[in-house]
Amino acid sequence: MSYTVPIGPYHPALEEPFKLELKCQGETVQDANLHIKFNFRGVEWLAQRRNYSQAITLVERVCGICSDLHTLTFCRAVEQLAGLPVPARAQYIRVIIAELERLTSHALWAGIAAEIIGFQTMFMTCFSVRERLMDILEIISGNRVHYAMNCIGGITREIANPHAVLEIVKWIRQEIEDTLIPIFTTDRTIRARCIGIGVLTKEEAIAWGVVGPTARASGIPVDIRRSAPYAAYDQLEFKVPIETSGDVFSRAVVRLLEMVESCRMIEQAFKQMPPGPIRGPEFVEVPPGETVVRSEAPRGEAFYYVASDGSDVPSRVKIRTPSLVNMPVVRLMVLGANLADVPIINASIDPCYSCTSR
Amino acid sequence: MDKNEGILTQLGAGKFWDKRSDGWWSEASSMDVEKMARLMTAAGARLVTITAAETSKGEFRIIYHWDLEGRMLNLVTMTVKGTICSIAAIHPASDWMEREIHDCFAVQFNGRDSAPLLLSPEDPPGIFLHQSRDDQEGKERAR
Repeated sequence: MSYTVPIGPYHPALEEPFKLELKCQGETVQDANLHIKFNFRGVEWLAQRRNYSQAITLVERVCGICSDLHTLTFCRAVEQLAGLPVPARAQYIRVIIAELERLTSHALWAGIAAEIIGFQTMFMTCFSVRERLMDILEIISGNRVHYAMNCIGGITREIANPHAVLEIVKWIRQEIEDTLIPIFTTDRTIRARCIGIGVLTKEEAIAWGVVGPTARASGIPVDIRRSAPYAAYDQLEFKVPIETSGDVFSRAVVRLLEMVESCRMIEQAFKQMPPGPIRGPEFVEVPPGETVVRSEAPRGEAFYYVASDGSDVPSRVKIRTPSLVNMPVVRLMVLGANLADVPIINASIDPCYSCTSR
Repeated sequence: MDKNEGILTQLGAGKFWDKRSDGWWSEASSMDVEKMARLMTAAGARLVTITAAETSKGEFRIIYHWDLEGRMLNLVTMTVKGTICSIAAIHPASDWMEREIHDCFAVQFNGRDSAPLLLSPEDPPGIFLHQSRDDQEGKERAR
């Protein structure tokens, strides 16, 4: 006999509202329906009623994990519309903050994934790494979540103590290489819970246009930092980790390897960063026009469309977050899965419901 | 003729690509969007998203943003009486994008089996429109 299991809208796996309705036969999932938008705030509509400077503060609150990415992408769009140059030093600092944010996001994900499969000590280890990362961001910006680092034409502040930041990054890289990666890839419990679970084939990933680590774990080498470099990414040497199994384990491996690459990029950025100003010429006006900009968020490609009618208020702001294109494939991943594996499958795409609802 | 030029020729819509720093753009008020979706899918393009923007005439500019081998191709068309053909059956990635535009702007996507709301049923389709009609003051306040 088949039956329906409703999970959510509260706490299906992560602490954000989202509802999954699972049709099961015994303990096997036969179909799934997803319900989102419990966090709808009308951010696009609100951004069209604020001037460009006010809109930066607003889009930073699209997400509490990749907040910097949203201000970076919005500022890049306005800079493109207004033809504003950004100083080279600011471009490197943008990379440093973006990669610290990616590390924070992936450490959070790894901890929650460990907690979902009942590996509490690993959860604590991941969160101790994340705590140090949040300390760095607090040292740099004074904030642990919304860093307010980007402004139109550059960044708002210098990194006052680069040596302290590099020391912590060195420790974090060692923790990732010596603890996180070995345990995640060799522990019997993790392997049993993740290998062959929640598979998304390459063909499915292409058809549904998934992005980020979810796509890269299914063999698709899509990474905006490589295909359409922005800030100072074209000046840095880094690998884009790709796995081909398309399962929960592959998605974990991709994220862990990306964390090492993020540390390498931060170290390179500090080494190569030239002296000079951190902001370009004063931002005066945005001429009429429209533009599109993409950045690589921790969860994948984020997209902004910004249109100007020549006033100081954008006439249209469209935001497409990576979770909006990644979440529909959860339905494919859970088909035929054991009911007990649904939480880790769902979490494996690192969904952000707040981003998705906007 | 490269792959991108070939797509535009086969589409028979826009006459040329406007090659900008943020990608290539082509605009045609009347476009066979189903044919576009088939051509793009066959070329291996990924649908990044669909943007809707209200015009002063009450219609909507609909922009299909595609990624073809790392390059952004932005194909712009218009709704007719607030409707446009759905491409969800051809390119599944468009499913939630169309539903979201329906929720926010009440644009009708023809040819879908169903278009359930992403928002809750208490929010009627066109939530951005309902709020914008009485909100000119808010826009003035921001200036």
